[in-house]
Amino acid sequence: MTLWSRLRSWVQAMLRRSRMESEMDAELRFHVEAYAEDLVRGGLPHKEAMRQARIEFGGIERAKEECRDARGVNFIENFTQDLRFGLRTLRKSPGFTAVAIFTLALGIGANTAIFSLLNAVVLRLLPVPNPQQLVQFTYTFPANGPENWNSWFGYPHLERFRMQAGMLSGVFGGVGLNQVNVGWHESAGLAQCDAYTDNFFSVLGVAPQLGRLFAPGDDREGADVVVLSDRYWRSRFAADPAIIGQTILINQLPFAVIGITPPKFSIYVGGARDLWVPLHTLDRFTPDPNRWQASFTSWLLIAGRLRPGVSLARAEAELDVIHRRLLAEQLAVSERRGSQSMQRLVRESHLVLHPAANGMFSGLRHPYALPLKLLMGVAGIVLLISCVNVANLVLARACHRRPEIALRMALGSGRARLIRQLLTESLLVAIAGGVLGLVIAWWGGTLLVRMISTGDAPVPLDVRPDWPVFGFTAAVSLAGGILFGLVPAIRGTRVDPGSALKQGTHGTTGPSRFLDRVLVAVQVTLSLVLITGAGIFTRTLDNLRHVDVGYERDNILMFSVDAKLAGYPKERAGALYRAILDKAAILPGIQSASVSIVRPVDDQYYLVDRIGEVDGDTLPDGETIKVAWNAMSPGYFSTIGTPILMGRDFDLRERGAASGVVIVNESLARQVLSGQNPIGHRLDGAEIIGVVKDSLYGGAREQPRPVFYRSLFQGEGGTDPSQWVGAGAVSFELRYRSAVGLVNDVRQAVASLDRNVQIFHVKTLRAQTEDSFLRERLLATISSFFGGLALLLACLGLYGLMAHAVARRTAEIGIRMALGARPRGVIWLIVRETLCLVLAGAIAGIPLAVWLSRYAKALLFGIAAPDPVVFATSIAALTGVAVLASLLPARRASRIDPMVALRYDG
Amino acid sequence: MDKPVDLLQGRLDRLIRTAVSLRPLRAYGMQVRIQQISKNRVEIHQGPLYPALYRLDHRGRITSEWDESENNRTAKYYRLTAAGKRRLQTEVEKWNRIADVIAGIPGTTTEEV
Repeated sequence: MTLWSRLRSWVQAMLRRSRMESEMDAELRFHVEAYAEDLVRGGLPHKEAMRQARIEFGGIERAKEECRDARGVNFIENFTQDLRFGLRTLRKSPGFTAVAIFTLALGIGANTAIFSLLNAVVLRLLPVPNPQQLVQFTYTFPANGPENWNSWFGYPHLERFRMQAGMLSGVFGGVGLNQVNVGWHESAGLAQCDAYTDNFFSVLGVAPQLGRLFAPGDDREGADVVVLSDRYWRSRFAADPAIIGQTILINQLPFAVIGITPPKFSIYVGGARDLWVPLHTLDRFTPDPNRWQASFTSWLLIAGRLRPGVSLARAEAELDVIHRRLLAEQLAVSERRGSQSMQRLVRESHLVLHPAANGMFSGLRHPYALPLKLLMGVAGIVLLISCVNVANLVLARACHRRPEIALRMALGSGRARLIRQLLTESLLVAIAGGVLGLVIAWWGGTLLVRMISTGDAPVPLDVRPDWPVFGFTAAVSLAGGILFGLVPAIRGTRVDPGSALKQGTHGTTGPSRFLDRVLVAVQVTLSLVLITGAGIFTRTLDNLRHVDVGYERDNILMFSVDAKLAGYPKERAGALYRAILDKAAILPGIQSASVSIVRPVDDQYYLVDRIGEVDGDTLPDGETIKVAWNAMSPGYFSTIGTPILMGRDFDLRERGAASGVVIVNESLARQVLSGQNPIGHRLDGAEIIGVVKDSLYGGAREQPRPVFYRSLFQGEGGTDPSQWVGAGAVSFELRYRSAVGLVNDVRQAVASLDRNVQIFHVKTLRAQTEDSFLRERLLATISSFFGGLALLLACLGLYGLMAHAVARRTAEIGIRMALGARPRGVIWLIVRETLCLVLAGAIAGIPLAVWLSRYAKALLFGIAAPDPVVFATSIAALTGVAVLASLLPARRASRIDPMVALRYDG
Repeated sequence: MDKPVDLLQGRLDRLIRTAVSLRPLRAYGMQVRIQQISKNRVEIHQGPLYPALYRLDHRGRITSEWDESENNRTAKYYRLTAAGKRRLQTEVEKWNRIADVIAGIPGTTTEEV
């Protein structure tokens, strides 16, 4: 009841402010006049009585103010008043305002940009109902490397899970088809296609935007339906609703379009798909009778949705039993049942569920989550530095505002009221900084996405600010405003009005300068952390660039071709590739040309095989040696510049040789035939004809691993490479003298053979290598940028502090010089103070940097996290910048004329 | 002017409620009435009276209305609300209990304990 009446009174007061004001006015006037009348009755003249009454009443305005306070009206009114006053003060010192806003905007913008990327890559939930119920299936296998789990299953697993998983309301599976060629009205175009079971959309809970999505029964032999993504529907078919029911060609096979997904639908971060077809359409593209029965294969993604109320752990326990039972059944009938490692796999493998609320494992999120979190931390430190910088500015300003504040206190302003007013001013600056920061972030976010887009098309990431981003920016701005505003406000109002008013602005004994120094030292500390961070990431990138990868990176152009996209059957693919190779080799400016399945530093394929037999003897215990392999045309090694150490290259006559020939690398030769001349020995029946230098198969971060090479156009024997010709794309490598017009020439050459054949992944080996360092480059570039920014801000902070100090110590320096101090001594006085600050900051910064660097350990290459060289250069850079920052004020100090300084009112 | 007895806010509030509990009063009259009640031992400032009145009004302890005053001018009259009356009653009882106890202490002798 009282609460209600209080609220009513407040609302009334707010709504009828003017009436309340006039009533209050009338009441107080009445009081004074009534009192005066009494006094007149007591014999005083009217004028004197009024005066007396007013004196005795006290401050009428103050009473009114307290009445307003009593009704709680003042809060809003004060706020608008503070706002107006704050705007006016800020407008009066545009220099301060601009610097403060810009400094903050840099900090907030950096944070928001990184956050919007983090949000898009790591945090954002899938646009489906109840995404937290989604799980992705993975299983562990006995540890033999850093990654001892796998997220790809064979089809029997999917079938078994769908039948037996009771804790899940649905289990779906699927596989990416990578690029497909989509034909529509005689035009062709590449698109990303996935094949999934027909419960894919229903388990995810996605409703069609148009038409229908997969229904039970769609996933059958000979299935010919396709669902389009919203994005693809708009870009390729101009959002034409009439496309539903029409037939499009996927790799020259007809499919009927049945529906369009809602906008933004995707189950991968940064991996938007264009088309979805039922899983069993795989048989139409590449028939493989083994596909649905084969055990111990890894090609299917399996995911599902937990029933409401079922915990991840319970579902995992149930599925683990199914997984292990199936593995045991499969091994019992497998021809590899004698193998120790297979028995160990079956014994030790467990099923693990991963929450998939924000998407399935993605090539973008997995490698970028840690770097982005690190960069978020780095950006946070930049924000902290900019807040400290602004705090310093506000402090310096508070010093000049002491008389103003003292005057207002003398006039009866409460301290809390003044603090509130100063904070309002800071918040105004923070809000302006936040708005400008959002603009910077918008621009920075798109720049970042462009930086991480290495493929033919930009990574489909939506980094436009959404509500979480706006919320983040608002929170950061507010926190920043309070952070840099509160301390100066509290300290600035700790003023004794009497002495402050007497002193004027030029007080020699201002508030303690300790706080200013601590703030600048903190800046130095944080900058040091950032610079060392930038240092270790730059060194990492540099180390990676200088690794001997075993091939030459310059003057090689690569492009990919996939014959099946143009509808070529497997048998004719080899001929097409041969024809393209012949055409490319005679293009102007080409030194040599080759074709291979895996390109150097490939980001698409990774081939492994097992050798079970050396020189006709099987390895003991039924074991096999896991090797990476590749197949290529003659001339590959000379094209990419990998030296052949022994023996010879393939030549075209080997084509069709009965048992085949192979070339091995040093590592394989050493492992299998250590101490012997490997030439002429046989691996799984294939004769070794050459040994090449080790090259890093998977990029510069790798250790050399055993690899064997087969001739691409070779006949049967072992794993038939011709199976690959036609199964996936192949890559062509061209060593060129001049790249001018080369890409165009290549396109024309390929088109002259068959207009339907498209080339893609056109890249120089140098660019491909750089792309493989993308994560490191991103870290090095952004952390260097932030480090530079931090250094600049710290430099500004130091400069400000020293300039202020010199101005304040003018008289003291004047006395020193009058007593015989030399200009050099005065300069040293100032520089020494700076150096002390840098030293203090560095002493705090080194342990902090060492402690923080352990989070970056996983991302480093060829460098220990606390690297002494990096520390030494960072401290040297910081010291240099600090001396530079203090030199200007120091010179000004050394030029002080003692006579002027002593006369100067300071 | 003599330095008046420094009134704590709560006391001033109670004095006001006591004053208006007898009959509706103008703020000006209230000052006089409080002096009467306290037998001239308490003098209140005129300034702080108003914030106290507004505060009590805001809390619903007293209410106000404009009425004709004796010299034909409109003035604002304050009177106690039901809630204010209840509150005053409990406070008076509590105060009397405490006053009883305190009043008894100085006269206590060792024998009585």
